[in-house]
Order: sequence, then C-alpha cells, then structure tokens
Amino acid sequence: MTPTRRQLMTTALTLGALHLFPGMSAAQARRLVFATFTGSWEEAHAAVLVPAFRKANNNAEITLDPMLSVDQIAKVKAALQNPPIDVMLHDPGPALQAIEQGLVEPFPVAQSAHYKDLIKDAQDDMGPAPFFQVVGITYNPDKIKTPPTSWTDIWKPEFKGRVGITNLNSTLGTGWLVEIARMRGGSEANVEAGFKAIEELKPNLAAVAANPGQLATLYQQGQIDIGPGNFNAIQILKARGVPVEFVAPKEGAIAFKTTIHIVKNSPNKELAAKLIDASLSPEVQKVLMDAPYLIVPTNTKVAIGGEVAKLLAKNHEEMKKKFVFQDWRKINEQRAQWIDRFNREIKI
Amino acid sequence: MTARASPARYDAKLALPLAAFFAVFFLAPLAILVFVSLHTDPSMTALGLTQYAKFLLDPFSLSVLAGTLWVGVEVTALCLLLGFPLAWAYVRAPRWAQVAMIWVILLPLLTSVVVRTFAWIVILGRQGIVNATLLELGVVDGPLRLLYTEGGMVVALAQVQMPLMVLPLITALSRLDPNLLDASAALGAGYWRTFFKVVLPLTIPGIVAGCLLTYAAAITAFITQTLIGGGQLLYMPMYLYQQASTLNNWPFAAAISIIFLVAVLLAVSLFNSLGRLSKGHAQA
Repeated sequence: MTPTRRQLMTTALTLGALHLFPGMSAAQARRLVFATFTGSWEEAHAAVLVPAFRKANNNAEITLDPMLSVDQIAKVKAALQNPPIDVMLHDPGPALQAIEQGLVEPFPVAQSAHYKDLIKDAQDDMGPAPFFQVVGITYNPDKIKTPPTSWTDIWKPEFKGRVGITNLNSTLGTGWLVEIARMRGGSEANVEAGFKAIEELKPNLAAVAANPGQLATLYQQGQIDIGPGNFNAIQILKARGVPVEFVAPKEGAIAFKTTIHIVKNSPNKELAAKLIDASLSPEVQKVLMDAPYLIVPTNTKVAIGGEVAKLLAKNHEEMKKKFVFQDWRKINEQRAQWIDRFNREIKI
Repeated sequence: MTARASPARYDAKLALPLAAFFAVFFLAPLAILVFVSLHTDPSMTALGLTQYAKFLLDPFSLSVLAGTLWVGVEVTALCLLLGFPLAWAYVRAPRWAQVAMIWVILLPLLTSVVVRTFAWIVILGRQGIVNATLLELGVVDGPLRLLYTEGGMVVALAQVQMPLMVLPLITALSRLDPNLLDASAALGAGYWRTFFKVVLPLTIPGIVAGCLLTYAAAITAFITQTLIGGGQLLYMPMYLYQQASTLNNWPFAAAISIIFLVAVLLAVSLFNSLGRLSKGHAQA
C-alpha cells in the first residue's frame, strides 16, 4: 500500500511531536482512558461503571475524559500510533466513521462473559452496544391534555406554532427524518417524503434547535409543547420538575445503539476489553436502568423495570418488536446531502 | 541619541517570546489549516482548489457569508447607538456613580457567555418577560416569536458584546478636553453641532476600536448565535462546525474558515480606512 499524503503528514507530525516531548514515547505505562460523553453520561459512568470496573479488576486506574464523538475521532486520528484514548463511546453515525477510518480494534468476543447475552441488534464485534437511546414523542402535559399516540399527531392543526425539532446535525434529528420518511413510504436511502413532511409541518414549527440539549430547554421556557425527544434526557428533565412527558409512538420508538469501542493501537487493550465487558454486564446495566439514569439496557439478563418498563417495553422480546432500528450505514451515505438540503430549505 | 535608541532595541527583543508563541500556536496551525483546505476530498488524498470553488460558486454558501457579515453590521450599529450615550453618561457622571456604572458595564464580561445567553432565552421566550409585558398591556393578542429569529439574536448579541464597545468609547471620551465643548458653545454652536463637529471627530479612534472589537466578536459568537438563533438560522461559525464535526469533511470546513477569515479581514480593513478617511476630514 502506498502511503497517502495524510498518513505521511501524520507520521511527520508525530515524529516531530516525539522530539518535542520525549516523555510521550514512554506513554505505554499510562492508565486506562475512557472517553465517555459529557453531561448525564459522564455522571452515570463515574458513579456506576467506573466503580464496578475497578472492583472487578484489582482497583485498576482509569480516567474518564468526557468529550463529543467528533473530538474522540479527531484525537485518535491525530495520534493513531499512540492514541491518547483507549475506549471510545459513539452514536451510530460516528461509530461507523471510526470503524471505516480504521480507528477501532475488534472486541475479543470469545473472552467476554456477557457479549452472548446481548440482544442481537447490540452485538457487533467492532463495538458492542451497552445501551440504547430511544426517541419518542415529548409533550407538555400541562398544555396538552390528550397524550399523543402517533408521530402524525405532531401535524395536527391544534399544534400550530408549538412544535420543536432539531436540525440534522444530531443523531436525533437525522433519525427522526428517516422515520417520518419511512412512514410515508421512504427509507434510509430515500428521505424525499420526510422533507415533504417537514415542509408540511412548517406552520406548526416554533423552533428548530441546534441540538437535542437546546430542544429540551425549550419545553422549560414554554417555547414549544410537543416534538421528538430522547427518552433518557426527557426523564431527567421531568425528574427536575419540568412539565414534560415521554410517549413511545404506536409506529414504534426509534432506537439508536450507543456503542463502545477499543481504540486501535491502545496500550491498554486488555483493560479496555475488561471495561467494555463491565459495561455489558447485567449488574451495571441494571443500576443504570434505574432512576436517576434511566438508560435502556441491552443485556437480556437484565429484568426490565421502572420507567423503562412502564413507557418503553416490559422485556427484551417486546423491545425487539416495539423499537425501530435504522441502518446507519445507509444513512451515512447521504447524510451530507440531507444536511445541505435542510440548510437550504428549512426556514421558518 | 544612542541612549534613546537602545531601549527600542530591547523592546524588539522582549517581544520575541510572544512572537515565538504566535509562530508555534497561531501561524503553524493556520498553515496546516490552509494545507487541509487544499484537498479535494474528505479523506484528503488529492490536492486541488475544489473546496474553494464549491463555496464561491454556490449562491447559498455566499448568502450564508453575506448574512453573517451583515449580522455583524447590525450588532455593531446597535452597540454604537446604545453604547455611545452610556459612555457619555459615564464620563459626565460624578465619581460615586462612575463606580456603580463601571460595575454594571463590566458585569457581562465577568459572567460566562453561556449564562448571559440563557438569560436571553428566558427574556425572549413565549412566556418570557417581553411577551408577558406585551400581552399584559394588550399590545399583542398572542405571544410573538422572538427566540430563534434574527432580530432577537441581534439584540442578545448586542447586549453580550456591549462592554467591548463601551470601554474604548469611555477611554476616548475621557480624553476629550471639556474646554473644547465650552469653546464651541461660546462660539455659538448648538449641542448637535458641537457633537458632530467636535465630539465625534475627536472620538473616532475609540469608535473605530469599539466597532472592530464588537464586529469581530459578534460574527464569530458561535454560542449566542446557535442558542438564540437556533438550528435553522445558519451563520458561518455553525456552517463550518457542521462540516467539521457532523460530516467530518475537514477540507471543506477548512476552506470555509479561510474564506471567512479573508472576508472578515477585508471588512475590517475597509472599516479601518473609513475611520482614517473621516479623521482626515475632521482635520481638514
């Protein structure tokens, strides 16, 4: 294989950096670094996953370094021979990019105690999914007395100027577009119908937020009363006293895998695999499923309970039936064009 | 003469650490940015100018650029309009009032921009202070949409960037010799004539400095632009963030940054020369 320009540049930069900071070449001995997401993810992992991992692994040292998916990819890509991170956490879109760019090491499935217990959709040796994120309808129960039941309810004239969505930068926004396209005969490869649906939604649209976090705060301000939302983010808001409710629409709630990966060339591969195994374990997933975390588990040994059972599915069998999984490999192919089109067409 | 020349030589040497710092942490990354922008595809295998062509030949991209530059003009004009009287009042106020006023002026700088911006979400929301007051007074029938509109965003940006305008204006106005105003009045000029013929020309350096700072801060204010402008008002910072982070298209993102940088430099030097022109006019 002839080296590409990028590889040459990376190598040159790395060599230069090694000269500047000789300590870096001794990085083999560093502790395990897990790049989780910021916010509630970090809190959950610091409180539950890290203690469980350390207990099972002779108090092994570990650092949580929370950052966005894109920053994880950038940091690993910039130092592929000696990555500063050992374990990455990704949404489906970035996960596939990381795998395609060769930043990921396969997870040693044979040595894992829990991999075989995961539901089928969560099994992938390039990065198993310890958790699901689930998108359904969010609404303000103080203002909307009849709970919505279907995605189509959002188009009702009574919600004129009260609907909020996000743009396609987020997994939530893109996944939702694909789902409404699917309901009108489209698919992951053709979202024409989805764009038409958003066009028809314009009279109802009060806000197109830049990310899901912003969308959630708009319920607090009374700016919007209904729209798509992430189960776990909405439940956290609800626990803090914001008037929001989550319902899984009858078409099925959209489910995304949150996948966990060993970084290529990690100096701590064994510990990285152990951390991943801890995240797949029923013990950790059970605690993370309960309040205040409410993260949807993927291990079939976890008995579904609490809010997850009440609002989403009573067991993993039902989960398979009620969740809508999407083909992100297909979605990634055209996502850039969709974002471009959304930029141009969606103005309210 | 030699005694006077030697400090100058020291001065140049003293700037070396900073120059080295800039070379390593500003010029080098900028060079890498230019290099990245010269690739034709996201995986960076071939060189070419396609990213620049893609932007400069696309009316939509150009409208994003123009829109961003125009928002800067609006914010700067609003800041100047509101900031000048404030700076004027400050300079004229008694000592004790000045202490209170400088505190109020500086306060926005001491709070995080995220916190300031969230306050504006509360003010501009459907149930926010503005809408509540208008509804109470019966001016409007239903709540107005203020959040996620360009108007709302310009107002919020103006408040957030206000100290950058007011502080240079205060400096310029306090250097103004009050005798000049008295002289102008004694010679028969009214308030407005004095203002336009004496005050304004003499404070041009402060105005230029304030406008440049406000302008540069307003057009690059990613946080305020996205929080108050939302996800469908697209400006350059969001545009390049989208390309770099969501789409991993670094060459296009790099090209957008370079084009943005050049456009801002052009706007700034245009303004600078306007300032110089009007100064010449004042002296004539």
